[in-house]
Amino acid sequence: MVEGLSQPLNIFLLGLGGGFLIPLLYRFGKQLPGIAFVISLGGMTVISAICLLSVLSGGGAIDSYTAGAMPPYSINLRLGPWEGVFAFSVNIIAVLGAWHLWERLRASYAVLLLYLILVMGINGMIMTRDLFNLFVFLEIVSIATYGLLGTERTPAALSAGFKYIMATVLASSFFLVGSVLLYHVTGTLNIDQMIEQRAAITGPIGMAALMFVLSCLIVELKPFPANGWGLDVYETAPAGVAALVSVGVSAGVFFALFKLLPIFEQQLGVIALSAGLTFVFSNLVGLRQSKVQRMLGYSSIAQMALAVLALALLTELGAEASLPLVVGGIFLNHLFAKAGLFWLAGIINRQQIRDWGAVAARPSVLFAFAVLLIAISGLPPFPSFWAKWELVMQLAEGRLYFWIGVLLVGSLFEVTYMFRWFRQAIRGESREGGFTPALSRMLPVYICVGILAASGYYAATRAGAASIWLFAPLYIGGFLCLFERLPARARCALMLLAVLLVGIWMGRDVDGISQLFAALLLPGGLVVASAGLYRVDPRPGYYPLMAVLLLAIVCLLGASTSLEFFFCWELITLSSYFLISMRREARGHALRFLIFSLASAFLLLAGFGIATAANGTVALAAFEIAGPDAAAAFALLAIGLLIKAGAVGVHVWLPGTYAEADDDLSAMLSAVVSKVAMFGLFMVTYIAIRSELGLDLAYVMGWIGVLTTVAGALMALQQDDVKRMLAYSSMSQIGYIVTAIALMSHLGWVTALYLVANHLMVKGILFLAVAGIILRAGTRRLDACGGLARNMPFTFAAAVIALISMSGLPPLAGFGGKWLLLSAMMDRGWYGLVALGVLATLIGLLYMFRLGYSVFLGPARPTHQEVREAPAALLVPQFLLVTAILVLSFFPKLFMEPISAAIDPQFASTLVWEGMSLELIYGTWNPVPVMAVSVAIAAVGLGLMWFLYRVGRVGSAAPGVTRFYGFYKPVFAPILTPYAYAFWRGISGLVANAAGLVARIYGGNGQVYALYVLYYVAAIYFLGTVFAPEISSF
Amino acid sequence: MGLPVSHILLATGFLLVLIGLWGLLTHRNILRIIIGFSLIDTGLHIVMVASGYVTGGTAPIADKALPIGEATLRAVDPVPSALVVTAIVIGFSVTAVMLAFAIRLYDAKKTLSIDAFTESKW
Amino acid sequence: MKRTFDLLALMLFGFIFATVIAGYVERDSLSALAQYYLEAVPRDLGAQNVVTGILITYRGFDTLGEVAVLFMVAASVGILLASGAGERPDEVGRDAAAGPSELVISGAEVILPMIFLFGAYVILNGHLSAGGGFQGGAVVASGVMLLLIARPSTLVNHGFLSVTESLAGVVYVTLGILGIVFAGGFLDSHIMPRGELGAFISAGAIPVISALLGIKVGAELSVVIDRFRS
Repeated sequence: MVEGLSQPLNIFLLGLGGGFLIPLLYRFGKQLPGIAFVISLGGMTVISAICLLSVLSGGGAIDSYTAGAMPPYSINLRLGPWEGVFAFSVNIIAVLGAWHLWERLRASYAVLLLYLILVMGINGMIMTRDLFNLFVFLEIVSIATYGLLGTERTPAALSAGFKYIMATVLASSFFLVGSVLLYHVTGTLNIDQMIEQRAAITGPIGMAALMFVLSCLIVELKPFPANGWGLDVYETAPAGVAALVSVGVSAGVFFALFKLLPIFEQQLGVIALSAGLTFVFSNLVGLRQSKVQRMLGYSSIAQMALAVLALALLTELGAEASLPLVVGGIFLNHLFAKAGLFWLAGIINRQQIRDWGAVAARPSVLFAFAVLLIAISGLPPFPSFWAKWELVMQLAEGRLYFWIGVLLVGSLFEVTYMFRWFRQAIRGESREGGFTPALSRMLPVYICVGILAASGYYAATRAGAASIWLFAPLYIGGFLCLFERLPARARCALMLLAVLLVGIWMGRDVDGISQLFAALLLPGGLVVASAGLYRVDPRPGYYPLMAVLLLAIVCLLGASTSLEFFFCWELITLSSYFLISMRREARGHALRFLIFSLASAFLLLAGFGIATAANGTVALAAFEIAGPDAAAAFALLAIGLLIKAGAVGVHVWLPGTYAEADDDLSAMLSAVVSKVAMFGLFMVTYIAIRSELGLDLAYVMGWIGVLTTVAGALMALQQDDVKRMLAYSSMSQIGYIVTAIALMSHLGWVTALYLVANHLMVKGILFLAVAGIILRAGTRRLDACGGLARNMPFTFAAAVIALISMSGLPPLAGFGGKWLLLSAMMDRGWYGLVALGVLATLIGLLYMFRLGYSVFLGPARPTHQEVREAPAALLVPQFLLVTAILVLSFFPKLFMEPISAAIDPQFASTLVWEGMSLELIYGTWNPVPVMAVSVAIAAVGLGLMWFLYRVGRVGSAAPGVTRFYGFYKPVFAPILTPYAYAFWRGISGLVANAAGLVARIYGGNGQVYALYVLYYVAAIYFLGTVFAPEISSF
Repeated sequence: MGLPVSHILLATGFLLVLIGLWGLLTHRNILRIIIGFSLIDTGLHIVMVASGYVTGGTAPIADKALPIGEATLRAVDPVPSALVVTAIVIGFSVTAVMLAFAIRLYDAKKTLSIDAFTESKW
Repeated sequence: MKRTFDLLALMLFGFIFATVIAGYVERDSLSALAQYYLEAVPRDLGAQNVVTGILITYRGFDTLGEVAVLFMVAASVGILLASGAGERPDEVGRDAAAGPSELVISGAEVILPMIFLFGAYVILNGHLSAGGGFQGGAVVASGVMLLLIARPSTLVNHGFLSVTESLAGVVYVTLGILGIVFAGGFLDSHIMPRGELGAFISAGAIPVISALLGIKVGAELSVVIDRFRS
């Protein structure tokens, strides 16, 4: 029985038999066609599942023969692992899609039979082994699509349908003549035989035939720029039909290309070129879209192009072993995510992206939406993430760097427009009230989410990365989601407990520098996160995401391969993004944060790819022994990490994000999350230590660090908003750490870690103190506060300690850190950097004084009479951190020794620091004179500024601190013209203009589109015949 | 003996395709565009049949005029002929669907000019 | 401007086609596949017309697909042209104004029976001589078309036609399945005796399938034509 069922032929018997029966059954009862449809479609799906299982359980490919004769005389079908996966997943999508479209389907039995035969046709395209039969199935699919497009009666939909017909009929005409001419030259129509005899496909007829078949398949996949007809259909068709065209029909065509690929082995370069162009330009134009379905159309086209690109490049590289993970991953990911998004678009039924605020208040819808977006963007843990990783690794191995660039640029565009859509959805400002889709409508979407999660895990297994340990952050996040109905504080406490327990479990095997970071970041993260207890508002999803964030950090510290590192890195980025975007005011900044973070991540990906190719392994440990080949990897990784660190020039994402995120989240971002990039820099510099070029680059990095410090300090001085000031201050402090790491010496690294610890504590305190002030005084403006020291003495005390420690004033830890840094820089002879560092310290002193003075001292505001002390939930973490600062300040050895021990191995074999030993420094450190000199320098600097201020303000009213800063604002203004913002705005404007320019080719005229198709075919012909070798070589 | 017959057929077929292409590219009227497509189809069918011709061959029907034993020597290739039947049916089908769309488009806008149907763009 | 691009496209394809024509050499021998068919169809299937044998048996799966295409076209055209309430108000007036001429009506009366008869002949002799289900079905449908032109008031019974085409389709698929059960595989025509080459009742199931195809094609084309009329 099972034997009989596992014949792929049965799929066609059910499809056709069911299709033919439907009109007949309609005569007997109006309900019968629906029942027959369900039975047939369900049966097809079950049969494909049985076949797939039988193949996967070692049964080998299943062949079905027809007409009692063997191929090549008769048509045969084959279902191997590839066919099985494609057919089964397409059938699943068809079932879910039928659920989604049910109202439309059951309206007319004709629609039912079209849908059924369409699905059967896709199965046919996947399984047939006969070239002309492939053409017949292509036509079955096409005609069924035309019919389904005809069910929508709006003029736009009809015109789009007609354009679609024109283009696809042209394409299939070429397939027809191509296949017959191929028969002419090879004497067979059987695909297997044709592949064997591909050497016979030569001469003008053979080449023309080959190019006609190839161009039909490429055109059917809607290549840029000959794809306006496809886009119009995606835009105007009912969402369910568009989904089927996007994933189902494309799957059939893609598979046809896949199985015919051996006869196109000379044309791989052309295929890659076409797919690469399509991938980049579709995503580029996608940036300009304001309509949901059209945007999804661009994305669909791009995703299919990505799959084709991967297929062509991997085949060319001979990396067929990676095809299942890469091509299968990209395909399945696109299939389920895109179908889900189309269905969601159909359910929400808002054409314009700007109207998507309607779902803002529906957490479950938003959750599904977010998952689908993450998946389509190729972010973890979904299949496309693993696929892209493997693809980049293979491309780097094959030195196809250009294609890595193409891949990453296109992906970045796609992420941008996808998440811009999400931003609109969470804005919640749409005038239309809440919109509640019925669960039954949403079911297919949720099923897609589930399948994506499962297939993501499976892909991770294939990529060799699936482990409980790596997925623990996600498991815990999912687990905490179950408790979303509890009160906010209970959820927070639960989250802290879970992170504590799991974090300790995860961090148990970590050693070396990772262990130090773990020892800092896990407790630090928990302390800062515990401040969340002061919030009683619900914040749906906040705590699960926070758990993911914190555990992903621990996980990252324990990563042993670059893949694990990158996975955690992306998880951190994503969870931070969603956390940030929870506050309405932060949503615009959140998008910028995400785009810069992902740009950074993509650079890391490229860097890891090159490093892996150079090292021959993904193990992070190999970085220590990397050769000079890895210099390019170092540069890419360092740039990526510096973006994430908020280095000057690429810092534009930072201030807004830190300033506008939830107050307790700002503390987390600045104190804890920013250290992750620092850890990355530590890790990456292993590479640099070994290569000469790396050391030069390290010097550049040192400069970047110091400039970041100075710029951050100057901008912090300009701010009137206390959170913005702290944000810039954070940037400035991170700059010191970058410089310290760039020193590449024992002392430098010790300093860096010391600064990391100091900054974590200081910024944690300050942001939490500010959170208390905002809570009690209700303002973030420096000039709207004053005299709060009396109302909030504990906050004041903590803030003063933090400010002193941060500004580098003796006797607290910040002083030690800075002193160490300056010593280390002097030691390397980086005198210019030393001078700038001192300058930055002075400016830092100024803005920190302003912060302390205007908020806590200064004249009290009458409105603030009733202000109370901050809640204990905020104060306790602050004082825990204060304790840590005091320990760090007065018992530095407690901290220094483990650091020194952790770092020693890195340098023992490589660079030996030839200066004083640490013991010596600390042994000879006599605080008093150094303290005196520092205070003197600070006093002189302040006095100078005060003098200038008096001179400049001759005859004005009595001086005050506010005025003092008001005076210096214009003085620094010229150096602080926001070049960086202007630059990035210019870039984004340029991209948007380019996208607009490219989009002009889509004028909407079907005849012009047909002309594009013809030109495209001609171009493929000439490129594929005349220039094939040249293209393949690049 | 001049050009072989299939050569002439082949050229005629491709010429028809070109005429069809010209028609569909230059005529604004949707009905004429559809006629262009039909011409392309017809041209391709001729090309298909021509490509199956064997010098001196006759119809592949094994009757008195063509005993079975001689069939492999004197018949034309039956495969393209079989394929062309399928192709003709499909060509007809596509034309029918296009015409149905044309009627609907005319209902929507009361014009058949392809330039009128550019709702979706960019 | 656009004309120039049109012309250029045409020249490009002219060039491509010219290379094909220039590279074409008329074959003087058949491909192995064709030779196999030419021998196997008469001997093994018992059909004189090799093309029909290929169409209905060896490439029967294609033919079934083709039938599905036609079937879907009838459905698609039905969906597209199903007029909603209140559409096409000018229909009545047009019919009254331009009726068919006397010549057409009388001519149809004479020719129609012959057309239908010829169609039936073509369908039923597909395995013996040039012809077959598709061709005959098309002939029948052209008769229907003439009928509709000559007598615009004729009402085509869609219900009957759609049941007919469905039934023909279902029987076709069933015959195919019988091939799996009783013969070598799906659509194997050996389920019925081969008979004597050249006899009317011969070639196994080929004439039956041919007839089914003829009925189905005739019905579907008639439906399509009639949809366009209304």
